[in-house]
Amino acid sequence: MVAIAVGGAFGTLARYGVERGLATGAAGFPWATLSVNVLGSFLLGLVVTLVVVRWPDDRWLRPLVGVGFCGGFTTFSTFVLEIDQRARHGHGGIALAYLGASLAAGTVAAFLGALLARGRLATDVTGSVLPDPDLLSGDDTRRGPDATTDTPT
Amino acid sequence: MILLGLIVAGAGGALLRYEVELHVRRRVGPGFPYGTLLINVSGSFALGVLIGLAEHHGAPSTLVTVIGTGLLGAYTTFSTFAVDSVGLAERGRMGAAAVNVGASIALGLGAAALGLVVGHLL
Repeated sequence: MVAIAVGGAFGTLARYGVERGLATGAAGFPWATLSVNVLGSFLLGLVVTLVVVRWPDDRWLRPLVGVGFCGGFTTFSTFVLEIDQRARHGHGGIALAYLGASLAAGTVAAFLGALLARGRLATDVTGSVLPDPDLLSGDDTRRGPDATTDTPT
Repeated sequence: MILLGLIVAGAGGALLRYEVELHVRRRVGPGFPYGTLLINVSGSFALGVLIGLAEHHGAPSTLVTVIGTGLLGAYTTFSTFAVDSVGLAERGRMGAAAVNVGASIALGLGAAALGLVVGHLL
């Protein structure tokens, strides 16, 4: 209960900060809420999956970061009212684009968070794209020059 | 002062969401996120009433921020909605995922519009 309250308070303050920093006015595209909701969905996808696959005994992460922070950080009521407000004032295009972008980016972000927690993104990047630098340099600096300079003396 | 109000309201909203979700899940069981749906629809209605009141009768902006951004912002959630929808789809329950997305958006928008009307009339 304490963890949920603390996470919720921090999430709310963080959202308030983003909404003030990225304010776009009643007729503009609501970038602040979109960013908050997409980021929060990614983080929640990551946390709920981590709790299941990595730390099944953890008792704090889910209430503090999942239920508390992510829940307090993201918001559905502001999202819906922003759509309504734009639609009512003749900005139907912005309302539709905002709705579509939030749903698409929010669900993709949640999925990517879960993928990252399962280590699939991490292994793809570190395992196949970047080779181990020690294995590469060891061979040609030692064997090549050493083999020829040993014979004259 | 406004930050203190946001801290208290944000904590309260998160706890209220937890309690409502738990109660609904105990009543109707797991399988479909009825709790989060109820939370998001009721919170959208309440924010509609608040905005309607503020637009037509005037309300201190501090109060609107603390209740609207703080309490109702923390009570409703987009992240759980997104994660639940993806989870249903991943487990092959595409119909349930589509119903969750469609019902949340349609009922949320309807509740907000109704709330605005109620706020204007009050």
